[in-house]
Amino acid sequence: MSKVEKARLDNQLERLKGDKALLQAFVDMLAIDNSEEADLNRFVLQTVMNKYDEIMNCAENDIPFIAAYFANCPEIFTAMDVPWWIFLQTPFLGVSSPFLAADTDETAKMGWATDFCTVLRLAMFYVEKDLTPKPAGLIALLHPCDGTVVVHQAISKSKQWHDVPVFGADSPYWDDERSFKYYAEETDRMVEFVTKCTGKTLDINKLREVCKISNQTYALWAEYNELRKAVPCPHDWTMGPPQCFALACYYYPGKIEAVNWFKMLVGNAEKRVKAGTGMAAGEQIRALWFDILPIMWQFDLSPWLEQEWGVNIVMNMFGYTPYEPIDTTSKETMFHDLAKRSLCQVPMIRQARGVADNFLGDIERIVKDYKIDCVIWPGHMGHKDGNASIGMMREKCRDLGVPFLYIGLDLFDKRYTSIDDLKNKLSTFFEASGFKHK
Amino acid sequence: METKTKSRVLQEFQEVTKTIMNPALKKEKDKGTKVIGYFCSYGPAEIITAAGMIPFRIRAVGSTGTDLSDAYLSSINCSFCRNALNMGLAGDYDFLDGLIVLNNCDHVRRIYDNWRRKIKTPLVQMMSLPKKITDPSIQWYYDEINILKKAIEDKFNVKITDDKVREAIKLHNETRRLQRKLYDLRKKDNPPITGADTLAVTVAATALPLKQYNPMLKELIDDLSKSEGVGKAKARLLVIGGVLDDPEFIKVIESTGGLVVTDVLCFGTKDFRAEINEKMKDPIAALAKYYIADRPSCPRMFGDQPRRAQLVKDLVKEFKVDGVIGERIVFCDIWAGEIYMLDDDLKEAGIPLLKLDREYIMAGAGQVRTRIQAFIESMGR
Repeated sequence: MSKVEKARLDNQLERLKGDKALLQAFVDMLAIDNSEEADLNRFVLQTVMNKYDEIMNCAENDIPFIAAYFANCPEIFTAMDVPWWIFLQTPFLGVSSPFLAADTDETAKMGWATDFCTVLRLAMFYVEKDLTPKPAGLIALLHPCDGTVVVHQAISKSKQWHDVPVFGADSPYWDDERSFKYYAEETDRMVEFVTKCTGKTLDINKLREVCKISNQTYALWAEYNELRKAVPCPHDWTMGPPQCFALACYYYPGKIEAVNWFKMLVGNAEKRVKAGTGMAAGEQIRALWFDILPIMWQFDLSPWLEQEWGVNIVMNMFGYTPYEPIDTTSKETMFHDLAKRSLCQVPMIRQARGVADNFLGDIERIVKDYKIDCVIWPGHMGHKDGNASIGMMREKCRDLGVPFLYIGLDLFDKRYTSIDDLKNKLSTFFEASGFKHK
Repeated sequence: METKTKSRVLQEFQEVTKTIMNPALKKEKDKGTKVIGYFCSYGPAEIITAAGMIPFRIRAVGSTGTDLSDAYLSSINCSFCRNALNMGLAGDYDFLDGLIVLNNCDHVRRIYDNWRRKIKTPLVQMMSLPKKITDPSIQWYYDEINILKKAIEDKFNVKITDDKVREAIKLHNETRRLQRKLYDLRKKDNPPITGADTLAVTVAATALPLKQYNPMLKELIDDLSKSEGVGKAKARLLVIGGVLDDPEFIKVIESTGGLVVTDVLCFGTKDFRAEINEKMKDPIAALAKYYIADRPSCPRMFGDQPRRAQLVKDLVKEFKVDGVIGERIVFCDIWAGEIYMLDDDLKEAGIPLLKLDREYIMAGAGQVRTRIQAFIESMGR
């Protein structure tokens, strides 16, 4: 590797190393806690770090990997033994907050409209500034929002990644057999693309084994979600939907590590439900946060919600995804069911891609099943479809007899709505809804 | 600068753009002709015509606010959608017998959900528009058009035969040919029509019965062919961007001495640059191919950006354009990305680009004028 190439690689890995260092600090912090919950969280953090190591190793040793998403049937990547990662995971982790504000400002200098989803602007920024390792292939996400379609097109034209082959599976708007068949065929074309980029092929028997493990994972996740219906909910903000999503859909899709972790999680939740143990601060308000969790606000907001108001976010968009098992009979059944899962079951896609009935039905189900006291729609500035649904959500909640709050946030930039404003809005809402301060 | 011809037809077109309901449409409604609205130029208007109905492209001209729609859409939704839904809620679109919505963007696709819950239009039909241009996606849209066709047939008890679709394709193609002819006149060094008036002509096509519109446009083209030019422009401009149906916006641009000589708009070039193949055996297949593959694509179509950029560069040459204005309605993600990408392409080709964010309802004319003036001056004009 020449000096120039080495310098370029160092630049590409800079953010990853920064994230990893921060994650390590969290792992070290958790090491002093001997609880099962800390063990569960430590495993998740270690898994994230392992993913960083895997991708950095690929970049350093010229091993082909692809940039893809959890909604691209990731069980297929597992079966093909292809390293992959979500290159915009950095802002999603929230651990990179030291860089994020400055990075976000840089996106504006690039000439990108500032009302465009911050996380997607950041993705573009990381590519343009060569701050993320270059994959052998990019699988673009063409749903659920306009932003994803546009940003992947821009990335595939960027100075740094213009020579990276790109494939996007075209996603129909409906949730019917015709759509599943169409998307399954697109998925088949995606496999051809991955083979071309990496040289790896798909063995259907291997995929069958992976899907069987994936089914076990999702069955355990469903079991855990049943346990979260208990009053009090067995876990507080530090454990639940984000970890479940991360392991099942991203880090270990169809891998035994996820099954083992979920078993531990279910065991822990069962014990807590039997003992009637909920969050330490005492659960007063069971909330549905119907979007991505407030990642950037996690440490400012979540403890405050618990301590000031006794709020437990019992369910959110990333946790409630009633998956159906994959029928492993044949390649056709597996592709059909994987397509169905990727098109209308995985989080965010399930709620944001198709017609409004999808998420309105979910709100109703969650409010009833999880004994929800209030629904909070943060209104992330990138979620234009959700922002065009506030009236429908409000009316649905009114019908269900639960208060509804629309906030207006940038989930990736704390400056959009200040933490004080956010707390004020929430407090006013809780007070107006008749909830009692702790 | 102004269009010199005192054509009666041009005045009628201008009037049509100022309101939702126009006299010709009202006359048809009074006769019992059904009117079907559609939200996007990917809506296959030919099917509506073939059903013996009038296709009407949704606009929000004359909207006086968003008081009603604010309860359903947030302040970070596009102002076109907020105003259009408001007009729907206020009853301004009660004359529609049907409405076709496509998942063309995140704002519009939720209009479908809101509209069908709140506004009693007899038929509200959603179409799933592919995001790629491939043979399977053309086939997908073929099926979607057939689903739409059946929905119209069932709802209104009509039969849309292949012959009727062929006839409708011919009629719409004739409109496209005439509009191209009109645009050809703008290639002249001293074009006989302003950009604002041209937009009035093309918008009128989406609000009038085409059987009446086509002869009117023929008459106007004859008039313009004999007319003197609008005068010497400081700069010849191309406008590209999201939904733009208000000639007043172009008037503001042209009040600076620039002349809009062409565009890449869905109320303009994108709607007539290509034609539907009249020779294909299956007319629905011809429609699917036209809408997905042949017409200039919308930036929501993934992977087609190079072709779109090439179209801009081709038009710059054909119409001897000095500079490009990329307009975007605030909060439109699709055009945010497209203009970002186009910036690079035009820089490479040495074509000046002005990026202009705007609201659907014309506001801040002075600010727009100042920016255009500065843009023209920056080109040394």
